[in-house]
Amino acid sequence: MISLGIRLALAGGREALARLVVIACAVAAGVGLLLGMLAAINGVHSQDNRYSWLNSAHSTDTPRSGVDPLWWRLSGDAYQGERIGRVDVAATGTNSPVPPGIPRLPAPGEYYASPALARLLADLPADQLADRYPGHLVGTIGSTALPGPDSLVIVVGRTPAEVKAADGSHEITSITTTPSTDCDDCPVGPKGSSVILILSVTAGALVFPVLILVGMATRLSAARREYRFAAMRLVGATPRQVSVIATAEAALAAAAGVAIGFAVFPPIRLALVRMDFTGTPFFLSDLSLNLWDVLLVVLGVPVAAAVAAGIALARVRVSPLGVARRVTPPPPRAWRLLPMLLGVAELAFFIGRRPNTSAGQSMAFTPGMVLILGGLVYAGPWLTMVGARLMVGRSNDPAVLIAGRRLADDPKAGFRSVGGLVLALCVTTGSVAIITAITAERGLPEIYTAGAGAAVDHTVLGSYLTGWGDDGRPTGAEKPLPASVTTQLRAIPGVAGVTVIHADPLGTPDPTEHQGPVGAARQGGLASCEQLAGTPLFHTCAAGAQTATTAADFDGFGVDIGSNWPRQWPTSSVPAAQLDGLPVLDVVVGTTGSAATVERVRTLLEGTYPDRAMAPWTLSEYRTQAQGQLSSFQRLANTVTLASLVVAGCSLAVGVAGGLSERRRPFSLLRLTGVQLGVLRRTVLLESAMPLLVVSGVAIGMGFLAAELFLKAQLGYSVRSPGAMYCVMVVGGLAASLGVITSTLPLLRRITGPEAARND
Amino acid sequence: MTGIVLEARGLELSFGPTPALRGADLAVEAGEILAIMGPSGSGKSTLLHCLAGILTPDAGEIEFAGRRLDTMKEAQRSELRRDRFGFVFQFGQLVPELTAEENVALPLLLGGRKRAAALAEARSWFGRLGLDGLEARRSGELSGGQAQRVALARAMVTRPDVIFADEPTGALDSLTGEQVMDLLVSTAREHGTTVVVVTHEPRVAACADREVTVRDGRVTTAFMERMAS
Ligand SMILES: Nc1ncnc2c1ncn2[C@@H]1O[C@H](COP(=O)(O)OP(=O)(O)OP(=O)(O)O)[C@@H](O)[C@H]1O
Ligand SMILES: [Mg+2]
Repeated sequence: MISLGIRLALAGGREALARLVVIACAVAAGVGLLLGMLAAINGVHSQDNRYSWLNSAHSTDTPRSGVDPLWWRLSGDAYQGERIGRVDVAATGTNSPVPPGIPRLPAPGEYYASPALARLLADLPADQLADRYPGHLVGTIGSTALPGPDSLVIVVGRTPAEVKAADGSHEITSITTTPSTDCDDCPVGPKGSSVILILSVTAGALVFPVLILVGMATRLSAARREYRFAAMRLVGATPRQVSVIATAEAALAAAAGVAIGFAVFPPIRLALVRMDFTGTPFFLSDLSLNLWDVLLVVLGVPVAAAVAAGIALARVRVSPLGVARRVTPPPPRAWRLLPMLLGVAELAFFIGRRPNTSAGQSMAFTPGMVLILGGLVYAGPWLTMVGARLMVGRSNDPAVLIAGRRLADDPKAGFRSVGGLVLALCVTTGSVAIITAITAERGLPEIYTAGAGAAVDHTVLGSYLTGWGDDGRPTGAEKPLPASVTTQLRAIPGVAGVTVIHADPLGTPDPTEHQGPVGAARQGGLASCEQLAGTPLFHTCAAGAQTATTAADFDGFGVDIGSNWPRQWPTSSVPAAQLDGLPVLDVVVGTTGSAATVERVRTLLEGTYPDRAMAPWTLSEYRTQAQGQLSSFQRLANTVTLASLVVAGCSLAVGVAGGLSERRRPFSLLRLTGVQLGVLRRTVLLESAMPLLVVSGVAIGMGFLAAELFLKAQLGYSVRSPGAMYCVMVVGGLAASLGVITSTLPLLRRITGPEAARND
Repeated sequence: MTGIVLEARGLELSFGPTPALRGADLAVEAGEILAIMGPSGSGKSTLLHCLAGILTPDAGEIEFAGRRLDTMKEAQRSELRRDRFGFVFQFGQLVPELTAEENVALPLLLGGRKRAAALAEARSWFGRLGLDGLEARRSGELSGGQAQRVALARAMVTRPDVIFADEPTGALDSLTGEQVMDLLVSTAREHGTTVVVVTHEPRVAACADREVTVRDGRVTTAFMERMAS
């Protein structure tokens, strides 16, 4: 019986073949993306494990005895915006634990570097990178210890006394293998859970249009199929036999789709490697599937397709006399709007009630989003019906009348072909609105013009302030900057100006800090007016002043939109000559932004103030870092949008063409009775375009509304008008859809030709 | 082999508010060719569908070879249709995706016969019904008369006890219709098959052994008709 089903599926001529191909392609797209997401999730897990050893000082592993403790210090360095993970180690005996990837602990004066870092060390002049690390390279770190192929990691051998003296050092007795996900205060690692959540949500958002396409394709030429099943029932096929045959067909197509899906997985995998969700590209080998993933897809997808086909068939009763005459289905009711409204209400509820943990937040927002997306599909028929009634109400054009009646009679069928597209629009709108708003909020303060932005971005900032004590005094200040270093800094080609911010001996309050009514006022910094003039971006002194009270912390400048610094710093009474002997809070070096300049400045500052937990950074690096994940998710969102638009376009084409060929008889009859082809064309166009436009409007509105609610609740932001790119995408998408519908119209002439009167 | 093979007693069936059968009685003898006539909408097709176990009556009994059809489960009735009954309708009973020979072989395949055997058996009918050379055609590539003959072959291929035909020549011109009807009658007589044929063409009815008329959902015989007029 199954072979008969397969035979029927294959023998059904062009139409059945088209159905098979469409289902197979839809399933292939779904399977390919599903495999990609599974591989990405595995990749995030492997990466998390590869990171774990770096967190050894923060692990909760119980200390081991009988081991010589290892002095251990993890710090962050940077090269051109890429983080360099630096571990300083010092063995206290021969029995100290050895990190993975290296054969032995480096002795003082030796270091092991990851291959990518070793390449940089070899290629660059020493004053741009190598001078930061005492000693020389003795080998490279193996990939078992690297999160990704491009990771910059260095293990530096020091003496116990040196490491012990440095900021943030620990004695450890074992190298941890616990991934950072399971460790709350681990400094390094992707914190995979949130990434995995986003990947899963993305996969989900993508599965919707694919499911719709599979549904469309299964219903393709349903009438003819049902007719065939009726003929089989007449000669004695039992209902079971018919459903076995139908199921075999669907499973065959799905199996073909799974095979194609596995075939398209390798290129998807290659693309995923470059899409660094975690800030670090994956090792290709980490993006792999385990047996369970493969089994899940290979068995699960065809079974799901077969079940879907079974459900589709169960809805019609195939009797030997044909498919039980469908009475006009009851019109959809307004309560179809309910799930969508519930989703909106759910999101609105969390405004001002944002859960604290990220797990709680995803629990809070995911159901609302799912309700809105699912609700949109559910409400579609009702919206279509309302639109159709309005359309018919005021027209005496026969095309409008035919199209409107049909839509009003069976709005579900009318909506079905545009459902995928409408979903894609809603997802696009929501994600674009959210990402636009976040990008806008994280931008420069509005007072800075585009030109100043570049200057801000290329300032190298050594920020040594770590906070304020209870007495209001800044903490973390460094020893005075030797005059020779200042001279060296100024001598680096491309350095525009150097401003040193000192601790103020007078303790003048910081003019940029909101001073609370309680506690000691936070003290500001102190700078020479001559130096400030060299970095004009950070404002100037009053005319004639020697020194000025400035902000103590230059870190947030250009990052927080809220920072409203005065255009002119208040004059201080500390004489300029006294400054050189004062502790240093920040060193601000304006540069032209060339890689060599930035790295030279950084290397020099790191040499001057070694053993700080954070290396000096430029604002553009900070921004890239902050934006990095956002932009990789933006890329992911774009990919998803594009994929779902394509998939949705396919279901539209399938739907319209399928609807046409099912109505070949009525349309031929209409033509025989003298209705012009033009009227039929307009009828077909209206039948798809009306639901598309009406429900798209609602979908776009819902997308913005959901984004607004999410932004309000999660970040306190508001939706902004999306860019031209979005408008192009929406208008282009809708135009392309109308194009798809129009492209099926030539079919109309063919299928309503005189040969349609034949008895088949 | 005489005796009553199929009997309906007091059949009643309504489609919603429309009564189609209101107490129809009919007995069909084994091997006879019975024509059912009557005006349009009188319930001929409905009666035929009930007799063949496609529809179940609201009231009344149907007995086939000593078994009650009206109380039988759907799966069993399907089996019965497959193994013991054959069907020829006005048009459109061929599966468009299959070739002519596969259509003929379909009941055998559904019954679990091996494909090669089923096809061989099917092909043996093509010559007898003048269908040589049409084995590989799809239903859309056959003329109306050819399609009806393929349907007839399919009805005969299981060597059924009863063939049910509803306006088998209704869509054909009179010459072609006559050929199809001749074939139906001759093959039925050859194999001793019982035939119940619904028709409104007296020429078709003339081929039959006996003729009944359906009027307002009840069966009357030609004799009673004449008495009434
Ligand atoms: N599926 C159905 N739904 C509703 N009413 C039906 C259905 N099938 C038949 N009827 C009604 O039942 C009555 C008998 O129909 P039937 O098809 O048996 O007539 P008939 O004698 O075969 O007519 P014809 O010679 O035109 O084929 C008619 O009034 C018809 O309208
Ligand atoms: Mg009839």
